[in-house]
Amino acid sequence: MSTTVTGTRQQPAPPIEGAGQPLAGFGTLFRFMLRRDRIRFFGWTLGLTIMLAYFANVLKIVFPSIEDLQAIAVFSSNPAGALLMGPGFGADAITLERFLVGTYGMYLIIGAALMSILTVTRHTRLEEQSGRAELVRASVVGRYAPLTAALAVAVLMNALVALLMGGLLTGMGSDAGGAFLFGASVGAAGIAFAGIAATCVQLTEFSRTASGIAGAILGGGFLVRGLGDMSTTQGGELGWLSWLTPIGWSQQVAPFTHDRWWPLALSFAAFVVFAWLGYLLSARRDFAAGLVPARRGGAYAPGWLSNPFALALRLQRASLIGWSLSLFAAGLAYGGFTQAMIDGFADAPPELLVLFGGEEDLLTGYLGLMGLMFAMFATVYVVLAVQSLRTEEFDGRAEPILATAVSRSAWLAAWTAVTALGVVLLLFAAGLGEAIGAAASTGSGELFGEVLLGHVAHAPAVWVTLGVAMLLYAVAPRVVLLAWIVFGYAFLFGFFGPLLDLPEAVVKASPYEHIGEYPAEDLSVLAIVVLTAIAAALAGAAIALFRRRDLVTA
Amino acid sequence: MTNATPGTGMPAIQISDLRKNFGSVTALDGLDLRVEPGEVHGFLGPNGAGKSTTIRILLGLLRADGGEARVLGADPWGSAIDLHRRLAYVPGDVELWPNLTGGEAIDLLGRLRGGVNQARRDELCERFDLDPRKKGRTYSKGNRQKVALIAALASDVELLLLDEPTAGLDPLMESVFQACIHEATAGGRTVLLSSHILAQVEVLAHRISIIRKGRIVESGSLRELRHLTRTSVAVLTERPADSVGAITGVHELRRDGEQLRFDVDGEAMPFVMRELAGLGVTGLTATPPTLEQLLLRHYGDELGAGVGTGEGVTAGAAR
Repeated sequence: MSTTVTGTRQQPAPPIEGAGQPLAGFGTLFRFMLRRDRIRFFGWTLGLTIMLAYFANVLKIVFPSIEDLQAIAVFSSNPAGALLMGPGFGADAITLERFLVGTYGMYLIIGAALMSILTVTRHTRLEEQSGRAELVRASVVGRYAPLTAALAVAVLMNALVALLMGGLLTGMGSDAGGAFLFGASVGAAGIAFAGIAATCVQLTEFSRTASGIAGAILGGGFLVRGLGDMSTTQGGELGWLSWLTPIGWSQQVAPFTHDRWWPLALSFAAFVVFAWLGYLLSARRDFAAGLVPARRGGAYAPGWLSNPFALALRLQRASLIGWSLSLFAAGLAYGGFTQAMIDGFADAPPELLVLFGGEEDLLTGYLGLMGLMFAMFATVYVVLAVQSLRTEEFDGRAEPILATAVSRSAWLAAWTAVTALGVVLLLFAAGLGEAIGAAASTGSGELFGEVLLGHVAHAPAVWVTLGVAMLLYAVAPRVVLLAWIVFGYAFLFGFFGPLLDLPEAVVKASPYEHIGEYPAEDLSVLAIVVLTAIAAALAGAAIALFRRRDLVTA
Repeated sequence: MTNATPGTGMPAIQISDLRKNFGSVTALDGLDLRVEPGEVHGFLGPNGAGKSTTIRILLGLLRADGGEARVLGADPWGSAIDLHRRLAYVPGDVELWPNLTGGEAIDLLGRLRGGVNQARRDELCERFDLDPRKKGRTYSKGNRQKVALIAALASDVELLLLDEPTAGLDPLMESVFQACIHEATAGGRTVLLSSHILAQVEVLAHRISIIRKGRIVESGSLRELRHLTRTSVAVLTERPADSVGAITGVHELRRDGEQLRFDVDGEAMPFVMRELAGLGVTGLTATPPTLEQLLLRHYGDELGAGVGTGEGVTAGAAR
């Protein structure tokens, strides 16, 4: 009898709807994220699709006949082409679709991967870091709901990209099966990286570190599959390297050639595994914490940390070290393929060899082109460095500094100087790797110093971009991103200009087309002097104009 | 212009008709402010009234659209660097570098200003109970605020510009802060203390300026401002005291049990006292107006949203 009474008393209150359910609030969060991303969502998905449409149309104009295309297609079955573009399936019987997929497919795949990484970190770790997620999680929202909703947004974006790209190519008259398979290959890589990002965001307390780790996996994958693809073109033993990354899986689909769907299963499996790992890790950590705990540091600042230059160096130190090591490794890898490259190009068509400065000296041509490529990498560093200066201001860390006896000029000049010196360091690291790799590959070190010089000599061109970015920052910090236009222009015309037979003036408008791809071409001392002067003038103008505007404050 | 030192008569801060717009938002609308050397000047107002904008103009971080501001006799925009050697600033929202420790940030800010007093820095770390070895990203809001406070208080400067400096501090640390400010003024420093925490200003400030919608609406000593408002009186008398209600300046007369309660305008106080004296007072409580009441007078029903909420809610560009 008494048991009955106690039983009644102990009867739990009816469960509050949603409480204790790990996915409670998913629907609301999902719609909320879509609402927040309403512009970003279509910016990415339509942007990638428009890029594909653009590439397809340019190809039709530049290579009106299959014969034109065939002549150029051999490129992708050579090591450099394999490295930059992928395995190039069906190059012996080229079609516009095969060429399009083989040449530009990888960049769309990388674009989708970046889209996923940024989307997932933005809605998970960044929210936790900023403290906004605390508000959300304190309401009736399950432990797994935010991550699930973020993954759902990323998957939806990739599915849309796949459909849009498939529909676009079908609409342009391609075979629908191949078209949608290609779209799916782009989306699948994006979905795989959404899963990878779900794991990465659990590791550290900071969204930038998280997207950095995911980005490093993407970049490492690019490199690894590049080596695999280069090896394959040479009949080498390293073809399996192409199968280690989602980029490789998507390329192995070979749309319009083999039309294999099953490599995409690997991408979906990777998504499931890494997303599962992400959930697992997220359950093992505290809210807003990483798996790697923050360390303690010194109670006093080291003696040298006493001026704005030292501060800029201290703040850029970690990324400069990371970038230097990565570029050194990349230089080593690309340099190591020098001999294979020369062998592979022995019978390439002259239209193509123009990219390397003609067939007489493929060796120097390849090494010179690599110098330009690493100058583009250094440019990425430069624009990111200016963006992080902007973050210093927008986040309110510039204000206490500028409220001390540090002038605005000194503050901006210090950051510019550290970044400019960083460019030299990065190019030196890349050049050193390239020179060592090339010497090991060709068995001769006679070009060592020249390769190193050829890389470092591009610094003034990169400084011009730095000057442009700084000037944008000084005048209108909200539009710093426009500096990417310089990068895009230089990249497009630096690498595809010679192939596209563009007017001289168009190519020469890029600051990167004047110094010369040493050792293939002579170094232009005049260009080095003039570009340095232009960069200095831009930086000077930035410093002068920065004094005039209001600081952006909270 | 000469240096502003106590006794010379030149104000530490002199602002006249200051104007600042952010796009179509008017942040400062003809602001006047005068801070004498050696005083703690309370700069009081709700969020979004223009306190931070004013301070940032005084720092030369923002440029005024109109009017004039002089800090220690100099133009804050043109002579920013020279001035910054002589003043220290604590923002309301302190952001630190994620991978520098608190100690490193204190040293850095002090050195950039021209030097830290090492002994005082260590003493302040002790008093504020700050662990200087933790990385900036791991500090709570209160601890970030301590870092900025220690960096400011450890330097030998003439002027302290403090923008809601204790918004994240607990009451214990708040009293440490008050002691530090007393020491600073004892050493002849001038302090501009912006706040919407009224109790803090009441304890520390010699004079107060109240800002509302980009204008100073009242300025003076606490005593002078009290003169503008009403004292609440509760009195117990041997004979009925209802005759007090007839005096001009007495409001809201009401009986509360045996007590009589009413509010008195400052000017009417002598008359009320004279009247009460003849009625045999056996008990009397007079409560001076709090700053809440001072503000209520100016902001009316808008008060609830902005004042007394403790931690600040950022109110857009005008903050």
